[in-house]
Amino acid sequence: MGQIPKILVFLSIILGLESPQEAHAYLDPGSGSMILQLLLGGIAGVSVVLKLYWQQFIGIFRSPKSGASDSPSSDDTPSRN
Amino acid sequence: MSTTQALPGSFRDPSGQVFEVENRIFRTVTDYATSDFDFVRSTGLLQKLTLTGLVLPFETVDQDILGPIGKNASYVLESPKLPFVSFPYEWPFSALKAAALLHLEIHTTALEHGVTLSDASAYNVQFYGVRPIFIDHLSFRRYQPGEFWTGHRQFCEQFLNPLLLRAFLGVPHNPWYRGSQEGIGSEDLCRLLKWRHFFNSKVLSQVLLQSYFQRSARKNVVKLNKEHLAESHLPLPSFQKLLKNLHKWISGLKPLDGDKTVWQDYADFHNYSSEETEIKKQFILDFVRANRPKLLWDLGCNTGTWGAEALRNGAEYVVGFDSDQGALEKTFSRALDKKLLLQPLLMDAANPSPNQGWMGRERASLEARAPANAVLALALVHHLVIGRNIPFFQVLDWILDLAPTGIIEFVPKSDSNAQVLLHLREDIFPDYTEECFLSHLAQRVEIIKTQVIPSSRRILVWYARP
Repeated sequence: MGQIPKILVFLSIILGLESPQEAHAYLDPGSGSMILQLLLGGIAGVSVVLKLYWQQFIGIFRSPKSGASDSPSSDDTPSRN
Repeated sequence: MSTTQALPGSFRDPSGQVFEVENRIFRTVTDYATSDFDFVRSTGLLQKLTLTGLVLPFETVDQDILGPIGKNASYVLESPKLPFVSFPYEWPFSALKAAALLHLEIHTTALEHGVTLSDASAYNVQFYGVRPIFIDHLSFRRYQPGEFWTGHRQFCEQFLNPLLLRAFLGVPHNPWYRGSQEGIGSEDLCRLLKWRHFFNSKVLSQVLLQSYFQRSARKNVVKLNKEHLAESHLPLPSFQKLLKNLHKWISGLKPLDGDKTVWQDYADFHNYSSEETEIKKQFILDFVRANRPKLLWDLGCNTGTWGAEALRNGAEYVVGFDSDQGALEKTFSRALDKKLLLQPLLMDAANPSPNQGWMGRERASLEARAPANAVLALALVHHLVIGRNIPFFQVLDWILDLAPTGIIEFVPKSDSNAQVLLHLREDIFPDYTEECFLSHLAQRVEIIKTQVIPSSRRILVWYARP
């Protein structure tokens, strides 16, 4: 338990404040515990968690405007309603 | 034998089911579980754990005893029947804590033998007195090096979080647990904890972080799949350290509301003189010695005084029910210190555990776990009648249905304790009288012996159903 890098913990808290609030009907019962155990498992596990949360992490530093201009496919993608 | 049906609590497990036939307990081992069961037995783990009393003993028996069900199973195991089956929502804090520590100790020993536990259900633990005992022989399976602890989330929800609720917030787990049946989710607990609690690194990782990861997975912010898990593993030393750290943490947990509760001082302050206590004691002991009940239910056990006396005088096993957490903790300590087969359980007699779970049959109600061999209902009835407005005769009938014999104490309205219940309210209990009490009992049961306590006019009735 003491093995989890503190920086990751606090990043998680920050990211947690940004997560959406809608509910989902299909509950996944075990992912939270599994991701936590990945962190306890050493470097390989930590790298998996970083990969999982990478988009969220860089999203903090990317402004919405630059995010739009960085996305060349936005005009090409057909809209789906 | 064709009517043999699995006990309702065991239907979920593909590894096998539990059956009760003629008061004997059997467990099937299906093809699904045979390989793991054979492996686990070959390691000597189960023998070690049963010899040390951590796991319920078992032996393989002739499969014909379960008829066609037995023939389709790989093995049929028989275990001794425990005196009373209880559920985690009935356990006081100390019992849930003891069960959690047992689970961790068994898992730690199992890993040393190359075995792991497939789940972490609190319902796999029962009690013999105040000693927890693991009952599910089919939860053990071969450990694959590097595998994750699949029961971790369940352990947190069914053991850790309910204990933290009491230890950090002073809120007993029982009503919530009884409602949810599966314990307390980390996300729910997380919402209740204060910021200061998250400075505790264990709370931070086991509750907050787990809750955050769970929430992000649930909301599709991240998608964990099997490939991710294949890229990593949980090394055995990390697994063992996780179990060890949880064990150390839980060992030190205490109820935040460890102060005095309503009833835990009752035994010291009730309104009997020592002579009257002696009269009451003699009456109860005569009853116990005459009946020598294998299973005695003490309804409203308080701190377990009478249960302990009964055990010293011929009762084999006592289940003490009370609705006060502090009193139950004292009973638990008493039973632990004096090695008594006295099992304290939380129960509000006005709202006893119902039949519940899947199809309302998974967890049996208190009444469905009757009959006891004998029952004590001492200074209980006035609380239900005057304190809770339950009709007098219904209370008496409920008690009479729980066991073939027992003692009921009648506390008259003039008694100082009854006056505490009455002094601020209208007396709407015209039939709550000595005459009605005795005549109702006389209609339903045989009154063996009656004792009036001289000064208070309390009445003790020893009865037996015809």
